This record gives sequence, structure tokens and C-alpha cells, in this order.
Amino acid sequence: MYYVAKVNSEMCSTYKCNMCTLYCPEANTLMYDKDPKHGNKNGTSWVDEDRCKGCAICVYVCSDLLERNCIEMAMVTPD
Amino acid sequence: MSLKYMIPASKFKRYLPKDYVELVDYGPFGKDYADVGVKNMGTFKELVEEHPMCSGCWMAYYIKIIFAALPNPENTVTIGTAGCGRLAISQAAVPFIYGNYGDQNAMASGLTRAFRLRFPDIQKDVITIAGDGGMMDIGFSMTMHAWFRREKFTTIMLDNEVYGNTGGQESGMSIEGAVLKMSPKGKNFGKMPAMQLAITAGCVYVVKMSPTNINKSAKAIRRAIFAARNLGPTFIHVYTSCNIEYSIPTPDVFRDAKEMEKGRFAFEEFMTPEAKELFAKVESKKKREVS
Repeated sequence: MYYVAKVNSEMCSTYKCNMCTLYCPEANTLMYDKDPKHGNKNGTSWVDEDRCKGCAICVYVCSDLLERNCIEMAMVTPD
Repeated sequence: MSLKYMIPASKFKRYLPKDYVELVDYGPFGKDYADVGVKNMGTFKELVEEHPMCSGCWMAYYIKIIFAALPNPENTVTIGTAGCGRLAISQAAVPFIYGNYGDQNAMASGLTRAFRLRFPDIQKDVITIAGDGGMMDIGFSMTMHAWFRREKFTTIMLDNEVYGNTGGQESGMSIEGAVLKMSPKGKNFGKMPAMQLAITAGCVYVVKMSPTNINKSAKAIRRAIFAARNLGPTFIHVYTSCNIEYSIPTPDVFRDAKEMEKGRFAFEEFMTPEAKELFAKVESKKKREVS
């Protein structure tokens, strides 16, 4: 059991910003999909949960610096 | 390595590991920096792969920027030494050579000269990336003498102000009074003036910074590589905190880097008039420079 970042894609797509992807210390982990999907207006960030180490720097960028609150840490369980 | 060797034959492609095929199809090799540069991180396959560095490590973050900022990744070789950094640098799709205990700059001197003889028509970039211990303590003489000899390669020092890989001993770059796990009484001496040493030794482009602005960081790396191609040694002294040894909670690592930028790692840039002229010429070109 450990924490990984989860992006609320509906909220994220309203902003058209990929600031979190620029500050993730892990390569190929916090990615940005440019193509709008699932009826969203813009592209969204998404997390490769197998690679995320749960440092929460993306949460600091999204919530503390930008005040957009689109990312939260969620517990990953074996199920 | 060159671009020709990176791209597999079409019939062989289906048998190759998925990660490698993705790197060829979606990676930065042979593409325009405007499409696969640091600004677009997260939209292309980066050169660094999964590595064992700690969660929230700012050094891992800066290494990621180095590889995303490379002007010519298919013709670049990195050299490192013992320390945390090489754990990630060696996991990148750029040839990496391990210099034994601080001799990375001595090796880079030989490699740069050999490349110029063997490939006179191709520009090969050599970059040494090591920590404060490898660069300023153990490898100090080799670093300084490479600069005195005006060897044409880039030196990047990832300064975390501690020996993070071996349990927290003080290094020459730790600040005076720093209390660490293996120096409980606090350090008795001050921080070494690495930037001044580099300028005195003859580096043509020297930067001291804390990587909080991704474009500024990438610009410094690219300038250092461009200047090293023609003019002489270049040096980047960068703050990459050790959140384990300095007990920084991982969500606050970026905040700490910003505080350092206001303090002893305030952005400082030195360049010779020749380097200034070169940057004006290179940066006026819009397209990515491939030798």
C-alpha cells in the first residue's frame, strides 16, 4: 500500500496547463495528453501509477502554487 | 552512438523491447527541439528511464532536465562517478561512462580529444555530471586540471551539500555549521567557492543556480554545451537538495529550492565576450542546432 498521484481529468481539462508535468522528478510518469477525450474541452495530465513514487510535488504545484486543486494523493491497494 | 544506429530495421522492430521501440518512435532523437524540448515534457518519451533514486529527489529532477535539454542527444556521451546522480544518469538512453572515484573530468578530457580525432566531421558532446563530492572533493584535482588545460567539454556539479549516498558525511560544499548524521558537531569550515574557482581556472561559461525555472535551467545547460563545443570548458553549479539527509518532506522540496534561490544559490552567470557573441548567434536561429 502506498500513495500515488491521481489527476481529476475533468477539472484539469478546464485549464489547458501542463505545469505539473514540468516539475515531476520522475521521467515518463506524469504525462500530458494533448488530445481532448471523454467530452473534455482540452487535454489533461495523467499519471503512470506504476512509476509514481508518491512525492506529491505535483500536488504542491497544482494546489499551493496555482490553486487549481486538480491532483490529490490516493492510496493504491493490491485490489 | 549516432542516429543511424538508433533506428532499427523495420522487420526487426517487432522483436525489440517495447520501451526501445517507443523511444525510437516517440523519443527526442533526430527531432526538432521546439517539439521535444523541456517545454513539452510529458508529451514525448523522455530519455531517462525508471531509476532507484528517492521519492521527490530534486537531483533526479535536474537530471531529467539535463537530458530533455540536450541539443544533440544522439551524439552525446555522459560521464559520471560514484554518487546518487549516476543511479539515474546511467539509466538514460545516452551512452554513460563510469569514472572511478572522481576521475570523470580526466576521462572526459581524453574522450573529447579522441572524438575530435576520430570524428572530425561530427560534433560529439561530452558532459560530466557528478555530485559535490565527486567534483570538488575526491575529483578536485582532475576537475581543476581539466579546466586549466581548457578542455572543451561541459561540467555539471549536482550540489546537495552532503554525501547522501553513504549516510550523510559533510562535504567540501556543505555550509559552515551544517549538522549532519555523520558530522554531529557541525562542520567547522565554510563552503568552497566553486564558481570563483571555475572562473579563475579558465571556464568560458559558468552558472550557479537552483533549478526552479525550467526554461532558465535548460537555457543554461544548452549554452554550456554550445560554448564547450568551440570555446573551452564550461561549468554549471546547481543546487539539488537531498531531502533524506536534510530531512525535507517531499512535498516541500520545490519550496526549499525556491528558498535557496533567494539565498546562497541566487542565479549568477559568467561568460566571456566570445561566449556572449556565440550565444547571440546560436539563439537567433529558431531551429534546433544539429551539428
